[in-house]
Amino acid sequence: MNTQNQNQTGYMLLFRGTDLRKGLSSEELQKVTDNWMAWFKRLTEQGKAVAGNPLEREGKIVSGKDRVVSDGPFAESKEAIGGYFLLDVATIDEAIAIAKECPGLPYGIRVEVRPVAGECPIAADLRAEAQFAQV
Amino acid sequence: MQNMNTQKQNGYMLLFRSDEWYEELSHDEIQKVISQNNAWIEGLMAQGKAKPGHALQRDGATVSGKGGRIVSDGPFAESKEVIGGFLLVDVETIAEAIAIAQSSPTLAYGTSIEVRPVAEECPLDVRARELARVEQFANA
Repeated sequence: MNTQNQNQTGYMLLFRGTDLRKGLSSEELQKVTDNWMAWFKRLTEQGKAVAGNPLEREGKIVSGKDRVVSDGPFAESKEAIGGYFLLDVATIDEAIAIAKECPGLPYGIRVEVRPVAGECPIAADLRAEAQFAQV
Repeated sequence: MQNMNTQKQNGYMLLFRSDEWYEELSHDEIQKVISQNNAWIEGLMAQGKAKPGHALQRDGATVSGKGGRIVSDGPFAESKEVIGGFLLVDVETIAEAIAIAQSSPTLAYGTSIEVRPVAEECPLDVRARELARVEQFANA
């Protein structure tokens, strides 16, 4: 992951919907998967994607003052996040244009496009201190 | 479902969800939480357990529909479900990742933290292969 570039904060694509595989044949599913991987490879080669990962369809949620651990509905859910890309592009229009190429869209996947915060004091402090630690 | 002790090579992603809890706090209180949170992440980084995190702005867009023809505003800033940031933790078991999540200073302010294993192989790819085997069996 590129965390060294302080000026380029970029965008995050969050892929929502883990129920895509319902009703698809293995061939169709394989095609979507192959297209998805080719898409990520191309974006990486173009320098537009700096990181990306699929997430397992499982996990836990920790919440509240009591730090309670619960199961999350991550499998076959419309809202669950199935993976993400970090994009090194300058405008949200470019990030949206890339999101529109997502091979999962015809199968109900939604792509959340979020600016990575440059102004957030927590992140800014972190970067400054991380930089300082490296000197 | 994964066993709590199953080893993972790719680490875990912590996704922080919250409403705008900091709107209710004074400047000093916010500063205190920021300091605590920074110290928390730096401590994890110093132990080699986390990579630098990213905060997300609360605005953005959602793209959906065939060819991405629907572009809507959102997520909605006031929602408790909005992801405000994430951290990649480099530990071997989900139990360790959960323990790290439980030590987050922001939990006291109502955030919730989703702990997800980073997949070694795309789950869609794995499923496509499983399906191919089932179909082969059904056609035999």
